[in-house]
Amino acid sequence: MTQASDLPDATSHRLEELEHGLFTSDLSVNEFLLVKHAGFHPVGFVMGSSIYHIGIQARRWGKSQELNKLTEAMYNARELAMTRMEEEADELGADGVVGVRLDVNYYEWGRDAAEFIAMGTAVKAEDGTSYRNSLGKPFTSDLSGQDFWTLMQTGHRPQALVMGTCVFHIAHRGLAQTLGTVGQNVELPNFTQALYEARELAMTRMQDEANRLGATGIVGVRLEEKSHQWGSHTIEFLALGTGVTKGTGEASLPVPTTIISLDH
Amino acid sequence: MDLRAEVRRAMAALGQPPPRGGRGATSDLSIDEALLLHSVGWEPVELVTGVSVTSVPWGVWTWGQGEIAAASSAYAKAMAGAAARMGDECARAGGLGTVGVRISVEIHPYHIEVALVGSAVRPVGKSAGRGRAPFVSDLSARDFCLLHSSGWEPLGLAFGASFVYAPRRTALTTFGQAGQNVELTNFTQAMYQARELAMERMQRAALAWGAGGVVSVVMGQGPMAFAAHAVGFTAWGTAVRVGPDGHRHLEPTMVVPLDDAAVMFQASSLRGEDA
Repeated sequence: MTQASDLPDATSHRLEELEHGLFTSDLSVNEFLLVKHAGFHPVGFVMGSSIYHIGIQARRWGKSQELNKLTEAMYNARELAMTRMEEEADELGADGVVGVRLDVNYYEWGRDAAEFIAMGTAVKAEDGTSYRNSLGKPFTSDLSGQDFWTLMQTGHRPQALVMGTCVFHIAHRGLAQTLGTVGQNVELPNFTQALYEARELAMTRMQDEANRLGATGIVGVRLEEKSHQWGSHTIEFLALGTGVTKGTGEASLPVPTTIISLDH
Repeated sequence: MDLRAEVRRAMAALGQPPPRGGRGATSDLSIDEALLLHSVGWEPVELVTGVSVTSVPWGVWTWGQGEIAAASSAYAKAMAGAAARMGDECARAGGLGTVGVRISVEIHPYHIEVALVGSAVRPVGKSAGRGRAPFVSDLSARDFCLLHSSGWEPLGLAFGASFVYAPRRTALTTFGQAGQNVELTNFTQAMYQARELAMERMQRAALAWGAGGVVSVVMGQGPMAFAAHAVGFTAWGTAVRVGPDGHRHLEPTMVVPLDDAAVMFQASSLRGEDA
């Protein structure tokens, strides 16, 4: 590791134990067997978390705009959690982390703070080949064990979980505007435009992350919209996916059999 | 009819090993699961349970610092007690282990209650006598069969928990941070530590059995309903070990189902009622 780890002491203890050949994993049995079949062995359940105080930013009632400070907070906090998870995986000598989940929790005792958490199962190639990404770090991916197996069979390899986020304040409509459209079928261009812009920003940022990694594509993209605790007009748009590159290996995915089940 | 004698007879019958020779077995497995079990040479024997209620000393939930050790140990005791009882009941029924165990944990201010229900299973026609305590596993019968055919065996339910108090923030720090983006390092550290502790305890249990791994780990976390400043972290999963023949790769076949989404006819729709 090049940088000093900022993991709490308690982690190193748990991770040391894991190095003695025991693995823990939140993969289901199906996923576990498929990950084994893809030539990987799980080495441990890894996670990272950060409890983060999100700042305050003034919004203008009638103006749609990105709230940079909040966007920054969401980025920072997730980055902290993800980095810690990667550090745990690195400590275990893993090639990557599959089945990554990102969650945000709120506690009663800290309404102004949120816990950002990233967890997944660290895996290591059984044949000793390194599957680390172009930055030399363990790859991360939110693909399930099933999707990971399928992806590997097609000769691709995951690079990293890429994300883009944008916290956007959407303008309220003025009284005159509201009255002017009563009873009519009309598009509300200011809403449409604000939502459009926010989504585009999030997706572009995700793509930029993938480009930086030299990924050739992003699979399994999800776009999530959440208001967290900011009220209905402030929304976080989060785009998430796994950046992948085409490896040198041949695609070995067998031709699927089509079936008709008789059980319904 | 003497009801008391009837109950006593029924209770005594529960303690007896089931009669040999093809009497039906009670289990909560579905037909598919029972068939699947038979396909790998195992059979269900009996529905077994394990319950344990452990008391929590008065006053441990009120505000303090660090880990709530009394609650953590009460939890460990309750889980271990329930699993041990389930193991006993399974052994008495002639099973080698229990699969599909449903775990219900209730944490109350003064007691922790753990209830386990699952199906005891054994290789067809072979009753206990492997010299090892029966395993308890929350894997479904289907998962058990998959593991079994890839050369793995379950060893038991590994679990761990830790309960902590949320650290306090002084009014001054809260005020100073009001408008800023900052990580609350002491909170992060406290929650991290507690979560690690729960997982470490789970690992230790698995290591003690000589397990090679713990699969389908379920992590739970959250504040107590009755004390929001106390946060509990729990982790459990089935400890497994690879058998003497090593891991066998399954060869999955790719399929694409051509079924359309099922269209169901509802008679009520004829009357113009809402479905």
